[in-house]
Amino acid sequence: MALELHVWGPAFGLDSIDPECLGAITCFRRCLPREDWTLIASNDAAVSPDYRLPALNHRGTWTSGYTNIISYLTSSGHLSLDDDLTPLQRADALAYASFLETRGAGLVATSLYVSPRAWADVTRPAYSSLLRFPLTWTVPPALRAAAIARAEHQGIGYLAADVDAEESSSSSNSLAETTTTGFLKLRERLGPSRALQPEHTAAIRLQHFAEDFYSVLDEARGGKKFLLRDYRGPVSVDFLAYGYLQLMRVATPHPILKTVLEKSYARLVDFLDDVQSYGGKQKELVWQEPASSGALGLIGRFAEGSLEAVPGVGDSWGRWRKGGVEKGGGGGGSAKDPSQLIVAAAGAVVSVAALGAMALFKALPPVGASTHRFEPAREKTGLRQFGEIGSILEGLPVWEQPGSLPS
Amino acid sequence: MEVEMSSETPRAPNARPSGAPGWVAIPAPLARLFKKFPLLTYPPNELPARSPSARDVATLYVFISNEDALRGLPSFNPSCLKWQAFLKLSGIDFRVVSSNNHASPSGALPFLIPPSSANAPSVCTPIASNKLEDYAAQHGTSNVPAAPDFKQETYESFLSYQIRNAWLYALYLSRPNSALLSQLYITPVSASRVVRTTILYQLRHAAETEILKSMGVPAVNSDALYRGAKEAFGALSAVLGSGDWFFGDASPSLFDATVFSYTHLLLDDSLAWEDRALTDIVKRFPNLVQHRDRILQICWGSKT
Repeated sequence: MALELHVWGPAFGLDSIDPECLGAITCFRRCLPREDWTLIASNDAAVSPDYRLPALNHRGTWTSGYTNIISYLTSSGHLSLDDDLTPLQRADALAYASFLETRGAGLVATSLYVSPRAWADVTRPAYSSLLRFPLTWTVPPALRAAAIARAEHQGIGYLAADVDAEESSSSSNSLAETTTTGFLKLRERLGPSRALQPEHTAAIRLQHFAEDFYSVLDEARGGKKFLLRDYRGPVSVDFLAYGYLQLMRVATPHPILKTVLEKSYARLVDFLDDVQSYGGKQKELVWQEPASSGALGLIGRFAEGSLEAVPGVGDSWGRWRKGGVEKGGGGGGSAKDPSQLIVAAAGAVVSVAALGAMALFKALPPVGASTHRFEPAREKTGLRQFGEIGSILEGLPVWEQPGSLPS
Repeated sequence: MEVEMSSETPRAPNARPSGAPGWVAIPAPLARLFKKFPLLTYPPNELPARSPSARDVATLYVFISNEDALRGLPSFNPSCLKWQAFLKLSGIDFRVVSSNNHASPSGALPFLIPPSSANAPSVCTPIASNKLEDYAAQHGTSNVPAAPDFKQETYESFLSYQIRNAWLYALYLSRPNSALLSQLYITPVSASRVVRTTILYQLRHAAETEILKSMGVPAVNSDALYRGAKEAFGALSAVLGSGDWFFGDASPSLFDATVFSYTHLLLDDSLAWEDRALTDIVKRFPNLVQHRDRILQICWGSKT
């Protein structure tokens, strides 16, 4: 039991909510003897010094991230999965892993995290069942923010929100759209591209990205049973691909990724089955309880998460807390730049001051507001007593009443 | 009287149009004065010295020093150098001009202004970098292999992920390379110390955010970045093998140009790298060094 694998816990009927954790669990389950490792759903990235799950604790040595864990296990002799690959196959495996970690991660982030409906209906409830109470307020939004940044980096983040807009706009179709000047707006229908609503275009583009992604994996697999070879079983990158593809099959409110995968790339679904059934009958996973951090630890994590969410301060605080830019190599270790702490502290002071100033400003009597004077209503004579129209009519010279002239 | 006064008010809007000619018509003396303008017409200003003199040649705007631009040397920015090399490989005749992000319509360099012909002088819409491949296919002379196969697509993620992140760390965040960074991007911008410090901070912050965003981790770890770059260059070297170009193509493709844009800048002796970790990694793979020399020979002859 020397190896402790820390992961995000199960969700959507899968062993983990995170693609890399799912890949790691599947790989460990198939390739390592059951008694050599323990599985811990710690659901807290802070357990590892890199703030990243999956993380492997081997007698105090922490490794995190799927590829790093695999290379650590290979070099320490626990795993001989990738040993008999040719150099070219090894290069391919690395390229596939890198491809999955960039494009695959972007697609998973788009479908599960960026899309507001999927987030509200599917992903956030899943995290809520994994996390303990106050952390459900701080951890999921932070994860989502990171996923959005990742999807935007891939240039596909905006698509998910547009796909979701489909429903809101189709439900508001009964309310006719008007231009700013109040006229009814007519959709320009000049050819197919103009007739498409933006949400359809977004769905088509997302589908296009998904097809690109699947077709690369499909061609990589070709006629083989696994990505790199046929008979001698899967290698580590097969399990990583399994993790990503399984999470793309999660049923979201707009299951574009799932539909494309199952309709157009049925061979990849076979691949998933092959990976799943490799190694004979499934052994039940034994989850071990994470070491309880106690109420104090829980509150600490909550406070940390809340502080990171404070605009202006959270960034500097997070960078100071989590190491910022680490200089490696020359034994520098992690250089925590004290200036970042000063920036964070200054930011905190400034924001408190700003809040105070705002409170003070609200308490002051309003400046420049019109003063109300209450006067007895003017006596309405002549046509004025007929309200607005009356006063207009009275203004006309025709209706001049000589009698009302002051003498 | 009061009624008279109030009766004026609603009539006022009506009164204005009827009196309009009187207000709009310019009094005769003023009209005579205005007719004398313009008193003097200056000759048009001369164009700035750096504005394109020859418009019959396409112009590529890149990060480069003014002297190097005149001699058409390689840019010091990988994404600019990638397209500069690619356009040269596809046989397009163009000049390079030193520029910066603020000059670009898309906010990013490089961009290309195609030559304006005499009969259609207005057609000089800038071409952003994502359209340059199409442009090269239409106007280029040599045939650059285009159709990317699935393998190329997976290997591209090395360039956009591991190698790019390691490059960002090495140039922007690694402190020993500060001198090089300021020589390339900061000194040309301003002479003021305050401005320089601000820009240095902004560049570092942007680079860090970029790395963290693409990796999805909360802290930048240089060891991990360099390890990733080493693996990536190793895999590129393995797939290049003993061939001349990547993926067994007969002539260099965009992928070759992208690899070259990093390997050349890391191996170029005119850039004073202090933290030579990435340079040493590339030097470990002789076939990548030869690949860079081959492209340098084709595009820039023997001069470096």
